Amino acid sequence: MAVAETASGTTPAPAGRIPPRYWVTGALLLLMPAIANDFFLYQVFGWAFILGTIALSLQFLAGYGGMVSLLQMSVAALAGYVVAILGTSGTVALSLGWPWWVVIPIALAGACLFATAVGALAVRTEGIYMIMITLAIAAAFFYFTRQNYSIFNGYSGFPGVVPPPVLGLDWRQPVPFYYLTLGVALVCYLVVLYVARAPFGLALQGVRDNPRRMAALGFDVFWHRVLAQGFAAVIAGLGGILLVWQNGQISPGTAGLPAVFDILVVAIVGGLRHPVGPYIGALIYVLLRAFAPDVLQALGLSGERFKMVVGIGFLAVVWWSPDGVLGLWDRWRALRAAGRDPLTGRAGR
Amino acid sequence: MSPAAPEGPRLAAAAGSGNALELRGVTKTFGALAALSDVTLSVRPGERRAVLGSNGAGKTTLFNCITGDFLPSSGTIRLFGEDVTRFPAHERIRRGLRRTYQISLLFGGLSVLDNVYLACRGVGRARFSLVRPRRSDPVMAQAQDLIAAVHLAAVQATAVAALSYGQQRQLEIALALAGAPRLILFDEPAAGLSPAERADLVAILTGLPAHIGFVIIEHDMDVALRVAERVTMMHNGRIFREGAPAEIEDDVEVQALYLGGGHGGGGGHG
Amino acid sequence: MLGRFFERHPFWSVVILLAAALLLWAILAPWSEGVEDVLGRKRIFLNALFSGITLGALYFLVASGFTLIFGLMRNVNLAHGSLYLVGGYLGFEISEATGWWILAFPVVFVIAAAMGVILQWAVFRRMEGEELRQVLVTIGLSIVLADIMLWIWGGQSYTVLTPDWLAGPADLPIIAGRDRAGDYTYLRFPAVRIAILLAAIALGVAMWLGLNRTRIGMIIRAGVDDRAMLAAAGVRIQIVFVGVFAFGAGLAGIAGIVGGTFQSLSPGEDTRYLLASLVVVIVGGMGSIPGAALGALIIGVAEQFGSVYAPTYSVVLTFLIMALVLAFRPQGLMGRSR
Repeated sequence: MAVAETASGTTPAPAGRIPPRYWVTGALLLLMPAIANDFFLYQVFGWAFILGTIALSLQFLAGYGGMVSLLQMSVAALAGYVVAILGTSGTVALSLGWPWWVVIPIALAGACLFATAVGALAVRTEGIYMIMITLAIAAAFFYFTRQNYSIFNGYSGFPGVVPPPVLGLDWRQPVPFYYLTLGVALVCYLVVLYVARAPFGLALQGVRDNPRRMAALGFDVFWHRVLAQGFAAVIAGLGGILLVWQNGQISPGTAGLPAVFDILVVAIVGGLRHPVGPYIGALIYVLLRAFAPDVLQALGLSGERFKMVVGIGFLAVVWWSPDGVLGLWDRWRALRAAGRDPLTGRAGR
Repeated sequence: MSPAAPEGPRLAAAAGSGNALELRGVTKTFGALAALSDVTLSVRPGERRAVLGSNGAGKTTLFNCITGDFLPSSGTIRLFGEDVTRFPAHERIRRGLRRTYQISLLFGGLSVLDNVYLACRGVGRARFSLVRPRRSDPVMAQAQDLIAAVHLAAVQATAVAALSYGQQRQLEIALALAGAPRLILFDEPAAGLSPAERADLVAILTGLPAHIGFVIIEHDMDVALRVAERVTMMHNGRIFREGAPAEIEDDVEVQALYLGGGHGGGGGHG
Repeated sequence: MLGRFFERHPFWSVVILLAAALLLWAILAPWSEGVEDVLGRKRIFLNALFSGITLGALYFLVASGFTLIFGLMRNVNLAHGSLYLVGGYLGFEISEATGWWILAFPVVFVIAAAMGVILQWAVFRRMEGEELRQVLVTIGLSIVLADIMLWIWGGQSYTVLTPDWLAGPADLPIIAGRDRAGDYTYLRFPAVRIAILLAAIALGVAMWLGLNRTRIGMIIRAGVDDRAMLAAAGVRIQIVFVGVFAFGAGLAGIAGIVGGTFQSLSPGEDTRYLLASLVVVIVGGMGSIPGAALGALIIGVAEQFGSVYAPTYSVVLTFLIMALVLAFRPQGLMGRSR
């Protein structure tokens, strides 16, 4: 069923047919629990879908709106905090224990409101200023959650946050959690693809390319940018809620600066041009994170140097392929097409 | 041809209230440089006005002040009787003002239809709609009419970046006609066009519905004098002469200035 | 310039003057018991104020290099905090090994400046005008550098020892309160902090003079305004760029020693000072040295007052200042609108 949705959503009408690689990927993802063990389902794929979803919100802002915002991890963490504070957690004294169907909409609305307010400040500036301002605000969020004990419970945060037992399932079990994160990721991915071609998304791309021209067509550029921030915040918020459930806890470190940069790394390494990029980037990041220590140790180095591997890999990507893995893929296809054309004539087309 | 049917009541309300555009003492300085000084200008509804002048005369700055890209340093701008001096650009567009640009690419990767569709959305409702247009969307039909009006129906599915230069200029006019325009500012629409394309352009401009007024900046005197009812000459940021095309053409001082400025009266390329 | 400000904003000028007078009174006059009931002990107030000013001096050292590099070259160096921390660690090693605290400054300045030259030459020169790529590459570099530093110096924190001749407190001629006998007591403040404050002021004045009174300064200022013109005038702009980058990086390096002396060095300090620089230049105005000084002073004092009077919300105070500036003056207090 999920694959059928991919079909109607991703391909523009004229193209008609879905390339086989979509079918293969879709089938593989659906049948993954039959192949992979629990570690892969929960720690690798579950985490990759969550990180990818948060990075997707950055891809939407940066790829379609030209706004590189470093706030997305903080927005996600805010949604996670709201779930922990209003719902149930191990910190009984501070958590209110409201039911999940009240808590989740409030968490998403809160994330949206926060991002809209910050966006209203940040979108008055452009390009590099926006990066610096969102970075500063993200840091302020981190330090504030660490200092504030009355709401955010300071340094220790909230342990023992678990997903609610909806439909009688324990959603922290690897297989249910896998399908939950896959479902959320897929829905977010399709929604972003859809909105990119709806008036809002088209106009956002117009604002990215030529804001003055868009204003001269009657578009309110300021509000378009601010609302894009709000829209992306809902996606980031969904990712944040899943992240709390996966970790079972939330603390200031969830939105610390390394995590803030990780989201940027994931989105850039994957590629900003298409919503699939963040998920590719997330999978690469998670695999590196899971296996780099072992590989490093096998090479006789300390497993702690994992960060350096990520940093050097990131540097290599932005140095040689600013469009990320997607850019590499496009280049490879262009090379292949160029190489094949003279041999097969028009057969390839 | 009728690219955009006027919305009856709105038009009637405005028509009674005097001028479509009225500038009073508009001055715009950049540091020590005065790009516009004390410009006073009025355009009646439905009037076709040409603004001439050499490079640096302040014509494009004038347009930028009218559309709200720049705020004037002093002076007031009224659109259809309403003081819009401090309004942001998009608010002016919603009051029936349109503008074309010299470099016209709006969104090169999108099709002609998508571009015009966006322009129609910009002045309509549901600008922030998250729902994709359906085939029966009236705005889509509106966009297709506009495309036909500027003779681009054959290429409406083509990406804008793949159009010829002349076609891009025509698309630019279609974008300006979206919604219910009442006053359009054309910024050198004939620049770089072939003689045949120029003739096409003159036909499109003179064929605009009578209620749509426009102001045109044009280096090509031929085009400007053929489409305009009145001509304003600018020099060094000031209004230098104003009159009917024939008067301006015969004015000795204007001729000296214009020819002296390095532009042939016939087919200067801007 | 001050006269023009007064002419244009008479109301704000009066407000600023009044505030300055009030502050001066609060510093110099002995506080009566009534005042102390409302505001707390004068000693605490004075300590917060002077700690804030010296923290501001440290922030100025870090941020002025950042803002100079950004203002002249539009280069965004998010590895600036790494230069700070590298400088601090190296300064620690040098002063430990030689026992000469003062020797660490020139050596670290040269090393950090050399790192800056490498950065400008190998990285930024290749991606001029590509701000996003610069940001990404320098973030990548700072991740790698942070891990290398963690590798070498580990996770513990270091403090650079103050030399004997600057150790201990000094009495300032400012009344802090009364002792039991009723005599006035004077404010005691670490001598090393006073020395650093004076050095930062001297450096700021020197930079201002250098930018406004020398030929090279004129070239740099002209470059901030209009780079195309400079290139057209035949100035070898790349040389100027490298020089400014080296100077800014060197400043960040010696700021690391200063920070290591009156605070401490540990992993994470690099991002902390990068952020401080960001906030300072956002508040003060990008590319302006007086703006960096003003921003550093405001943020330093706000941070100290926040941590003394409202510990939970000190970050909020800093953030609030930044948000207010962004809302009402997006180009920063001393920045030019663009």
